[in-house]
Amino acid sequence: MHIKLITLMYLDPGSGSFILQIVIAAVLGGAYAVKVYWKKIKKLFTGKTGIDESVEISDSTGVEQSENDDQ
Amino acid sequence: MMTNNNIHSASFRDPSGFLFWFDGVLYRQVNTSYQTHYDALMQSGLYTELVKKGYLVKHQEVEQKPAFPEIAYKVIAPEKIPFVSYPYEWSFSELKDAALLTLDVCILALGKDLVLKDASAYNIQFVNGRPVLIDTLSFEKYQEGAPWVAYRQFCQHFLAPLALMAYTDIRLSQLMRVYIDGIPLDLASKLLPGNTQWKLGIATHIHIHAKTQQKFAGKAISQEEKQHAVRKTAMLGLLDSLKGTVNSLKWEPSGTEWADYYDITNYSGEAFEEKKSVIQKLIDMTSPASVWDLGANNGIFSRLASEKGIPTVAADIDPSAVELGYLQVKKEKTKNLLPLVLDLTNPSPGAGWNNEERQSFTQRGPVDLVMALALIHHLAISNNVPLERVAKCFAQMGKWLIIEFVPKSDSQVQRLLSSRLDIFDGYSEVGFEESFSKYYTIEQKVPVKDSQRILYLMRVIE
Repeated sequence: MHIKLITLMYLDPGSGSFILQIVIAAVLGGAYAVKVYWKKIKKLFTGKTGIDESVEISDSTGVEQSENDDQ
Repeated sequence: MMTNNNIHSASFRDPSGFLFWFDGVLYRQVNTSYQTHYDALMQSGLYTELVKKGYLVKHQEVEQKPAFPEIAYKVIAPEKIPFVSYPYEWSFSELKDAALLTLDVCILALGKDLVLKDASAYNIQFVNGRPVLIDTLSFEKYQEGAPWVAYRQFCQHFLAPLALMAYTDIRLSQLMRVYIDGIPLDLASKLLPGNTQWKLGIATHIHIHAKTQQKFAGKAISQEEKQHAVRKTAMLGLLDSLKGTVNSLKWEPSGTEWADYYDITNYSGEAFEEKKSVIQKLIDMTSPASVWDLGANNGIFSRLASEKGIPTVAADIDPSAVELGYLQVKKEKTKNLLPLVLDLTNPSPGAGWNNEERQSFTQRGPVDLVMALALIHHLAISNNVPLERVAKCFAQMGKWLIIEFVPKSDSQVQRLLSSRLDIFDGYSEVGFEESFSKYYTIEQKVPVKDSQRILYLMRVIE
């Protein structure tokens, strides 16, 4: 599957910034996956049902979203 | 008077579309190049979700003729922002909340397979005390594997100034005035204290980020590297890491000369209430549609206008006072009040390309009513500005003026004069009225109870 990089990317992302992201991606992805996993375990034990916790500015909303990932 | 297509002076970098004026109304042209992304935004449910949460500005699709029909897909009319402000005018928490909003929007977007393609602080505006994303065209369809293009911009526009304000000095927010695309990371890295090297988030996203920027400045990245570089979980991890880092930045407004201001000023409790009541009556006399309260401190008198539903800006030079004002707005969910940091002796100038991209403070007026309470002595005495010049400045800002004259006998003025020569012969009740009468007619004059001060209501001479 050939992906053409975003053509509307008008912003200069900066080569250094790209490279840093690529380098830390594995670590960040791993840490995040663990975080999501622990949140699920916690949810199980605190007995909370699948209520859609309303999102406020300071909450991490990524939990719900990543469940829709097709990795 | 604008009758023709008139492109907004700040809207020119993004080929997806741009803002333009027609007959005094602001529209956004969406170009055909952006079509799939716009449709994805609208049809995925992301637009609805973000508008419902108050995160994204609402818009209508309209029949307005595009400014450049050859490349146009649609024209939309975004909801009007009552007052445009810029990151160098925001208090610490205003900038922090704008940063967190940007990250939250991006996270929510990823849930619908969209992503933010930029992360400029100028894409955020404050409406009813809350930050809102105003750039509807900032979204793009997410491509699995592609890194976050806006990472650099986020760090420069949000993380660097916030870190500098929290760890080095609150006044460094003003660097945003000089660096119009955010603070360069190598500069931020130099200015931050050494112990920030031990804070993982700052070390990664500022210190190391600055070094990788320098090291790989000219390097080209191959298509292969770009395509499978950063998986979605990793991007969520990056956003989560940035969120944690921003959240960890804290600043306490303290050590300010104004912290105990209302304890040490000249009023008894009863006199204070009466002052408020007089000001309320004077505001009612002018029925303003908009108010600027200059030298507003934490907005204590600004609220007299905002509580009536009048959009009010509470501008003050002291970042602590503005911070306290904003925190109160947040806590009480105050509508119609925008606290901003502003030095009247050096207010925000026109900036950016051609000095037109970002408007000067005065260009964003005029308003119906200007309030200048407990302010005149700071301008005329501390800053040696002749009274007539102050009058001229205020007259350009608004039709009506509520101003408090603070005489030399007042303890605050005595304090200002204690360490200097009194060269201010013209600074008296008579001199004040004479100077201001060159630009205003004096409509009301009310002495403030239990003090030597006098409240005036003035109207600009047409």
